[in-house]
Amino acid sequence: MGENDRLDAAADDWLIRKVKDGDVDAYEELVRRHRDRIYRIALRMVGNPHDAEDVAQDVVVSLWTALTGFAGDSLFTTWLYRVVVNRCINLINRRPRFEPLDDPDVTVSPGADLQVEARGHAHAALAAVTALPAELRAPVVLVDIEQMTYQEVAAILNVSEATVRGRLYRARRRLLDTLREWA
Amino acid sequence: MTSHDEHSVTGDRLACGRPVDELLDQVAAGRADRRDDHQQGCVHCQAALGEYRRLWSPVHELAAQPVAAPRGRIDRILRQIRGVLAEPDHAVLAGPDGVTRIAARVIVVTARRSAQSVPGVRVALSRTLGAGGAERAGGAGGTDGDVVAGVAGASTAIEIVLAADYGQDLHALADRVRRTVAERVSRLTGLSTTELTVVIDDVLE
Repeated sequence: MGENDRLDAAADDWLIRKVKDGDVDAYEELVRRHRDRIYRIALRMVGNPHDAEDVAQDVVVSLWTALTGFAGDSLFTTWLYRVVVNRCINLINRRPRFEPLDDPDVTVSPGADLQVEARGHAHAALAAVTALPAELRAPVVLVDIEQMTYQEVAAILNVSEATVRGRLYRARRRLLDTLREWA
Repeated sequence: MTSHDEHSVTGDRLACGRPVDELLDQVAAGRADRRDDHQQGCVHCQAALGEYRRLWSPVHELAAQPVAAPRGRIDRILRQIRGVLAEPDHAVLAGPDGVTRIAARVIVVTARRSAQSVPGVRVALSRTLGAGGAERAGGAGGTDGDVVAGVAGASTAIEIVLAADYGQDLHALADRVRRTVAERVSRLTGLSTTELTVVIDDVLE
């Protein structure tokens, strides 16, 4: 099954109706369809696998009860990714600045050795993304890494498209400055 | 929203007048090579596009990196929600050298995945039938509520609930689902499926 199928909105709606009737099978299937993207967004927002797994677990636990409150007036994925991003932002804001991360390849404030090691690689980009303030991270992760549209991201972040663009442009310039320093 | 959020959209420009953010947009979208008429003749734009593309390549690498959620913790949470940790149902396959126990959950997962692989099935759920989630059949081992499979031909009964793609022969689809699920459950678990109920719950466009 491809990513498009996994993100099939009509199938999501069918499953959600069953979950609201208390169908645990349907909930498992719903989680199965989305867990990779939940985790992927979390990983790129928080920058390390341990915290990303915490976020994913937290989302899976809370979703079971929260789904009864899902009104269905937006796409399920919009609502779901908003939950994921908000959990990540809460975690980032609670975390002390420049706390060393678990993954030795990923760091918020990399030292010279790690910068050299990560240069030219995806890890360098992740380190640069996770050095951004939380509000600037989300547009980069959702637009530039997850390839979502401005419209989708505006709905997820509950801001206007102009705000998404503004934050994204600021974030890209900062990213570029960081990557230029490491190059 | 702050005014600063929108202000930066109209940020710095290159010497030729092109906004930096416009070029960054082009590079981030992977369109650095698709230069418009101005860019084809502008050294400022060409230099900037080359530089941004070089610096941005790690971000493209990051976006292309496959990431899968680790299965352990999320699966544990799902099991806790289901409550199967307390008393899982098992099929029992008795052989000459001992007994193999297969959790009913394994059969459910096998059946669901098999059904989902059939073209025309959009999404499928499955459950074993009977009290406690399974049907009892005669043969070796097991208690009421267990899925029981013995060497003398024990069985499992499965129900598949699915949503199908709109506009197809649903009887034929149900037959394909039955054949596929029965064959795969038999091949992977050794159990024979004596009853396989297919419920087409919805059709999706």
